[in-house]
Amino acid sequence: MAPLTPLLLRYLVVILIPLFLFSSSASAWKKDEFRNCNQTPFCKCARTRTPHSLPRLIVSDLLISDGHLTAHLQPSLSSEDDVSAGDTPHPRPLVLRLSVYQDGILRLKIDEDYSAPSAPSKQRFEVPDVVLPDFEDRRLWLPRVSSTEDGSISSLYLSDGFEVVLRHDPFEIQVRRKRSNDPIISLNSHGLFEFEQLREKKEGEDWEERFRGHTDTRPHGPQSISFDVSFHGAEFVYGIPEHASTSLALRATRGPGVDHSEPYRLFNLDVFEYLHDSPFGLYGSIPFMLSHGLKGSAGFFWLNAAEMQIDVLAPGWDDSAAAGNDRIDTFWMSEAGIVDTFFFVGPGPKDVLQQYASVTGTLAMPQEFAIAYHQCRWNYRDEEDVATVDAGFDEHDIPYDVLWLDIEHTDGKRYFTWDRVLFPNPEEMQKKLAAKGRHMVTIVDPHIKRDDSYYVHKEATDKGYYVKDATGKDFDGWCWSGSSSYPDTLNPEVREWWAEKFSLKNYGGSTPSLYIWNDMNEPSVFNGPEISMPRDALHFGGVEHRELHNVYGLYFHMATADGLLKRGNGKDRPFVLSRAFFAGSQRHGAIWTGDNSADWDQLRSSVPMILTLGLTGISFSGADVGGFFGNPEPELLVRWYQLAAYYPFFRAHAHHDTKRREPWLFGERRTALIREAIHIRYSLLPYYYSLFRKASISGIPIMRPLWLEFPEDKKTFDNSEAFMIGEGILVQGIYEEGQKSVSVYLPGEQSWYNMRNGAAYSGGQTHKLEVFEDSIPSFQKAGSIVPRKYRFRRSTTQMANDPYTLVIALNSSLAAEGELYIDDGKSYDFEQGAYIHRRFVFSNGKLTSSTIHSASLREKKFSSSCTVERIILLGLPSGAKKAVIEPGNHETEIEPGPLTLRGGASSVALVIRKPNVRIADDWTIKVL
Amino acid sequence: METRLRFALLLTSFFVVWVYGATPIPNKQLLGIDPQDLSFYKSNVIKCKDGSKKFAKELLNDEFCDCPDGTDEPGTSACPEGKFYCQNAGHTPIKIFSSRVNDGVCDCCDGSDEYNSNANCTNTCWEAGKVAREKLKKKIETFKEGLIIRKEEVEKANKAYAKDEADLAKLKSDEKVLKELVQKLREQKERIDKLEEEERLKKEKEEKSLREEEEKSKEQEIKADETQNFDTMDNHEQDGSTGNLDIAVESGNDNMVESKKASTQTAEQHVGEGHDDTLESSDGISQDGEISSYEVPKQDQDDSGSTEELSREELGRLVASRWTSEGADQTTDKIGNVEEDLMDQDSSVAHEHKGYTSETDDDREKDDDDDDNFEDDRDDEFEDDHSSSDASYIADEYEKPDPLDSIEVSSPTWLDKIQQTVQSVLQAFNFFKTPVNVSDATHIRKEYDDTSSKLSKMQSRISSLTEKLKRDFGKEKEFYFFYDQCFESKQNKYVYKICPFKQASQDEGYSNTRLGSWDNFEESYRVMVFNNGEKCWNGPDRSLKVRLRCGLKNEISDVDEPSRCEYTALMSTPALCLEDKLKELEKKLEQMNTRKPQGHHDEL
Repeated sequence: MAPLTPLLLRYLVVILIPLFLFSSSASAWKKDEFRNCNQTPFCKCARTRTPHSLPRLIVSDLLISDGHLTAHLQPSLSSEDDVSAGDTPHPRPLVLRLSVYQDGILRLKIDEDYSAPSAPSKQRFEVPDVVLPDFEDRRLWLPRVSSTEDGSISSLYLSDGFEVVLRHDPFEIQVRRKRSNDPIISLNSHGLFEFEQLREKKEGEDWEERFRGHTDTRPHGPQSISFDVSFHGAEFVYGIPEHASTSLALRATRGPGVDHSEPYRLFNLDVFEYLHDSPFGLYGSIPFMLSHGLKGSAGFFWLNAAEMQIDVLAPGWDDSAAAGNDRIDTFWMSEAGIVDTFFFVGPGPKDVLQQYASVTGTLAMPQEFAIAYHQCRWNYRDEEDVATVDAGFDEHDIPYDVLWLDIEHTDGKRYFTWDRVLFPNPEEMQKKLAAKGRHMVTIVDPHIKRDDSYYVHKEATDKGYYVKDATGKDFDGWCWSGSSSYPDTLNPEVREWWAEKFSLKNYGGSTPSLYIWNDMNEPSVFNGPEISMPRDALHFGGVEHRELHNVYGLYFHMATADGLLKRGNGKDRPFVLSRAFFAGSQRHGAIWTGDNSADWDQLRSSVPMILTLGLTGISFSGADVGGFFGNPEPELLVRWYQLAAYYPFFRAHAHHDTKRREPWLFGERRTALIREAIHIRYSLLPYYYSLFRKASISGIPIMRPLWLEFPEDKKTFDNSEAFMIGEGILVQGIYEEGQKSVSVYLPGEQSWYNMRNGAAYSGGQTHKLEVFEDSIPSFQKAGSIVPRKYRFRRSTTQMANDPYTLVIALNSSLAAEGELYIDDGKSYDFEQGAYIHRRFVFSNGKLTSSTIHSASLREKKFSSSCTVERIILLGLPSGAKKAVIEPGNHETEIEPGPLTLRGGASSVALVIRKPNVRIADDWTIKVL
Repeated sequence: METRLRFALLLTSFFVVWVYGATPIPNKQLLGIDPQDLSFYKSNVIKCKDGSKKFAKELLNDEFCDCPDGTDEPGTSACPEGKFYCQNAGHTPIKIFSSRVNDGVCDCCDGSDEYNSNANCTNTCWEAGKVAREKLKKKIETFKEGLIIRKEEVEKANKAYAKDEADLAKLKSDEKVLKELVQKLREQKERIDKLEEEERLKKEKEEKSLREEEEKSKEQEIKADETQNFDTMDNHEQDGSTGNLDIAVESGNDNMVESKKASTQTAEQHVGEGHDDTLESSDGISQDGEISSYEVPKQDQDDSGSTEELSREELGRLVASRWTSEGADQTTDKIGNVEEDLMDQDSSVAHEHKGYTSETDDDREKDDDDDDNFEDDRDDEFEDDHSSSDASYIADEYEKPDPLDSIEVSSPTWLDKIQQTVQSVLQAFNFFKTPVNVSDATHIRKEYDDTSSKLSKMQSRISSLTEKLKRDFGKEKEFYFFYDQCFESKQNKYVYKICPFKQASQDEGYSNTRLGSWDNFEESYRVMVFNNGEKCWNGPDRSLKVRLRCGLKNEISDVDEPSRCEYTALMSTPALCLEDKLKELEKKLEQMNTRKPQGHHDEL
C-alpha cells in the first residue's frame, strides 16, 4: 500500500482545495474582509471622543473678502493647556470660509493655512468637478457681517427668513430662522470638531497601517477630520447612500437603546453578496443627509471623497437631559480631505432637493429607450443566444428595449474587443436588434488587461495614463482580466483619451445603437485591501487614492459618458450605467444597486435603497430584477417584475450560475403576469418620460418617498414600503411570499383610485386590501391626470406615433391636473426648444390642454401627429353621455369603460371615446 | 403613402373575395380578419368573442378597442390582445400580435401588417414560400420514410419484448432448478470441508507432538507435507510463517480469498504507481515539490479568516472565484503550475487506467461501429445484434453486471448439461474414504463455485430483465431498442454520451461528468429527461433534456447548455415519425400549394 500514499494524498489535496473554496464561497458576506470602525484608526479614535473633551476652538480674524467671510480657527490655549501641551508644537490656525448662495445655501470650508510659515508642502485634496461650474455664479456677495456687541457672535444673511450664526468661542455654526431664532442645522454644537493637520513625521513614529496582509504606507500621516452636525426640529434623517436597508429613515448607530452598531460607512466597495440590512458601505457614496419633520426639512452635504463614517446618534447619547427633543445629532468622520460643507435650509423637502441639485446638478435627460425595460444576464453567450432571446420576446409579445452583454462577450476581458468565436459579427447583430428599434449595451470596466498586445494597455502604458502605486510604478492589481491596471480618470487628459475609445472607429464592432455599462469602478481590485485599490496609490497631481477613492467611479463614469457624447457628435444622449457613484453621478447616467440576491428581503430593501438614491440626486436608478445571485422562486420573480416596473431604471439581470429566467420560462400564467408587469411600465412611459424631464430640471426624483409629497403627514415619514411615482401614483410593494392581504396607508385628504379596478379609497387612512397575483397595489391620486399609452409594441421606438390615453382622477371638487412632456427621445434638440410640454387641467366639467412652453426659447421645434384616443374619467358622477371638443365643436361619445384593455376588464370608469385631438394642440373637451 | 395603402387594401380584399367569395364588407373593416372568421363579422351587431360586450359593425377596425379580447380590432393595434391575420398568399397565412400592426417592422411576408406606416415592405411570400414548401416537402419525405422504419422497428420491438418476457419466465423456472443443484453441491462441499477439517486437526495434533520432539529443521518437512495436502490453501500458508499458523487456520476460507484479492490489487496499483512516477519524473517535477505547492492554499483555507499568506495573484483569483465557479479551480493554480500538474496527473492516471482496462476501450470502439452500422444491422440481424454485443458494451461501461455473459438462454441443453455434470461429480465422490481424495474434493468445490456463479449470473440476468421490462418504452414500445443503446455526439472537446433509460454523460478525454440519470419521458414521449447529475459548484445538479424529432437515424445533435449545468440536446429518431404529424404536414403543404397567388405575387 505504501507507494500509493503520495498519489492518494495528492488526490486528496486536489479534491479538498476546491471543497474549501466552495464552502467559503457559499457563505455570503465576507465580514472579515472589510474594515470595521475599530480597525480603522481615525474612526476608532474619533468615535470614542466625548462631547467638549477637546480644547475649545476659537474663531478669530474675521474678514469679509471677495464677498466671502473668512476667519481663523484655533484651539484655545488656556494656561493649563500650555502646561500639558508641553512639547507639542503650536498648532497652525485653520482657515475658515463662509459663503452664501442663492435659495438658502451656506457653504463652509475649513482647510489648512497654506500661507502660514510652517505650512505643509502637500495640499489637501479638494474634490473638483462635482460642484456645478455655474454654481459660483449663484453666490451672493456678502457686503458685511454683523456681530453682537461683545463680539462673541457674528451673523450673516442667508435667504429670506434664514440667517447664519457664527459663534466665536467656542466655534459653532448655526443656520436658523430669523425671527424665531429657531435653529435648523448646527455644526460643532457638541465640540467634536477635530482636524488633524498635516505635519512632519516624528522620530520613531510609525504611520503605516496594516490590514489583512496589506500595508498602507500613509506617507502623509494622520489627516482625518471629524465633527458633529445637529438637525434641529427633525424627526428623521435620510440619505448618505449607499447602504442596504429595509428602512428609508436612517436608524441610530450609537447612543441609548442602540445595540452595538457600526457607523454608516461611505467607502465605495465591491461587496460580494451584500446583506439586505447593514450600515456597511456598498458601491457608491454620497455624503448628503436630509432631515425632515413637521417643522420642516434641511440638508447637509460634505464634499469629501475620502473614506467617511457617519454616526446617527440616538437621543441622550451625550447624556444631555435634552434627550427626546426634536433634534437629531450626527457625527461625521473622514480620513482625509478638507471641510467643504453645504447647508440647505429647505424649508420644504423638495426645496432641499432643489438646493442640493443646484450644487451637484440634476440627472442627464436619458433617451426614451433607456427608461424602458432592459434584459441582461451574465452572460448572453453568443450571437445565437442573443437572437434566441430577442426572438423570445417577440414570440411572447413582451416589449423590451435593450439587450445587454456582460464581460464574457470580450476577447479575454479586453474591453472594446469581441470574442470573435462567440460574436463573429457584432455589427450585424446590433443592426438586427436596431431593425426592431432595440438597442444593445456592452460592458466596459476600468481594469485594463496588462497585455502588451492589447492596444488600450499599450497606449495607457506609453502615455503614463494609469494610476500609480506608492512607489510610482503603474499600479498592477488583479481583476476579471487577470493582472490589470486602471486608467487615472482624475486626469482630464486621460478622460479625453478614454472617451476617444468609444468612437465608432476605435471601438471595433460597435454601432450607433450600442451603449455602455461601467461595472467594477469602485474600483474593484480582487487582490487589493478590502477588494479595492491601496489607499497609498497615486493619482494625477500626486493625489493619494485615499483622498479621492469615493469619486474614482464617478470620473470613470464621466469619461465613458463623454465618450458616447463625442461618438454622436454631441447629438445623441449617452446612456451609461455605473455601479460606483458619488455626488453628481446623476449628470453622467444611471446607477443600479449592484449585486443583490434573489430573496424577499432584498426585494424589500430595494425600495429604500432606490428612494435614498433619488433623495441624494441619483434619480435614474434601479435594482436587478429577480436578484443577481441565486434563483428566485417564480412568485418572487413575478413580484419583483411588478415592483421593478416602477423603478426608474428597470433591468433584469442574473449571475451566470443561476438558471435562465427570461420572462417566458415559468409557464404560461407567469409569462402573462410578467408581460402585464412590463406592459404597465410601457403604458406609463409618457408619464415617466415627463417625470424624467422634471427631474432633469428640478432635481425632484421620479420615485419618491411619500413624505416628499405629503411632508405634513407624520405617518408617511417612516414608510419604507410604499412610494410615489411623481405626484400622481402611489405604489405599495408586496414583499412576502404568499401574502394574502396588505395594509396600505394612503396619505392626504383626497381619495385614491385603485389602478387595478378603479375603486376609490379615502385618504388619510390605512386600508387593508386583498393582495392579488396579477399586480401589486397601485393607486392614482384624486386630482391628478396621468398620460399613458395603451398600445404595446416591441419597443419604445415603435410607440412614437401611437395615440395617448389620459387617465383623469377627479378630486372632491371634480378637478384634476397633470402634465405631459414629449420630445424626439434621442437628441439634445429639446435644449433648443424642440419639445412639447402640455398642461392638462380638468375643472368645471371641462378638460383643457395648454402649453407650458417658454416661448422665448424656440430655435428648434418638435412636432407630433399623435392624438388622444381615449380619456378615462375616474370619479365623475355617471350620467355624462357626450363630450364636445373645441375647436371644431365636434361631438364624441362618453361610455362606461375599463381602466385597462385586458381580457376580463370590466367597466369601472367613464371613457371619452376617440376625441382624436392632437396632443400638440390647444383644445378643450367639455363633458355634457 | 395613401395610394400604397389603398392598393394594399384592394389587394387584400381581392384575395379574400377570390378565395371565399364572401359578400363584401367594407375593405378597411376586413383588415386582419381570418377568412374562417368572416361569417362571425357579418351581422350588424357583433359580439365580442369573450362575450363581454356587443359592438356595432361601424366599430369594427375603427382604431378604438371596444372588446378587451380584441374582437373588434383585428386589423389595428388598438387592442393589446388582438391578433392580425396575414393572408401571405404564396406562403403560410399567419396570425400576428396586434402590437405588430403598423409598427414600422414588416412582419407578414405580404407586408399587409404595415398598411399605414412608414415601413416599405415588399412582398416576399412567393420566394419565402418556395423555400418553405421545399423544406416542408423534404420533411414530409423524411416522415414517410421514417414511418416505415418506425413500423418495422415497432414490430421487432414487440417481438423482442415478448421474447424477453418468455426468457424471463424460462429463467425463473431454470433458476429454481439451479438453486436446488447449488444447494446439493453446497451440502456436499460443506461435508467435505468438515471432513478435511477433522483430518487436518488430527494431523496437527500429531505434528504438534512431533514438533515438540523434533528440531526446527524438521518443521520444514511438515510444511512441505501440508502444502501438498492442502492444495487450495497454499497461497495463504505461504504468506504466513509457521509461527502464526494457528491464526491463519482460524480465519476462514472467505477471508483467504479476500486477502488474496487485496494483495493482487496492491500489486496492480503498484505497477500503476510506478508508471505514474516515470511520467512525472519525465516532466522534471519532483513529487515533493508538488505537494508543498498544494499545501499553501490548503493551509490558507484551514485558516479561513486570513488570506494574508496568499500571493497577490492568488488573492485576486480567490476573490474572483466567488463570482465564478471556473475561477475556483484556478485559485489552486499556482502561477499556472498546479493546473498543469493536475493535467499531468490526470493523464498519468488515465494511462495507468488504460494499462489494464483495454478491454473496455475495445468494447467502446466496437459499439461505435455498431452505431455507425445501425441502419444496416437493423435490416438483417437486428435482434441478435442487440441481445449480445450491445449488451456487453453496457456491461463494461456501467456498473450493471452483464446478465448475458455466458448464459445462453436460447440454448435448451445447458441446464441439462450442468445437471448431468453435477450428478456425476456428486456420485463420484466417496465420503468414506480417508483421507479425502484431493482431486475429488477439488472437483466438488469447482463444480460448486461454477454452478453458484452461474446461479448468481442468472439471478442478475433475471433482475436486469425484470428491471428492463418495467420500463416505459412508449405507446407502441417504439423506444424498446433504446434500452440497450448509447448514442454519442462529439461537440468541440466534449463527447456527449446518452444512454436512454440509464444515464447521460459528458466526456472529455478520460474524465466523465455525469449529466444525469434517466428520469422519464416528457411531453408525451417527445423529450427524454435525465436528472440528478453531478452537482455544479454554486449551481444546480446537472440535468439533460433530449428533445426527440423525426429522423431516419438515431442521431444526437445540438447539445447545448442554455442555463448553467442544464443541458439540452436534439435527437432525431424514426420513433418520432408519427402518422398524425405526417398528415398534418401534408395538409399544410396542400394548403400552401392551393394558395398560390396565380401571377399576383410579383405585383407588389
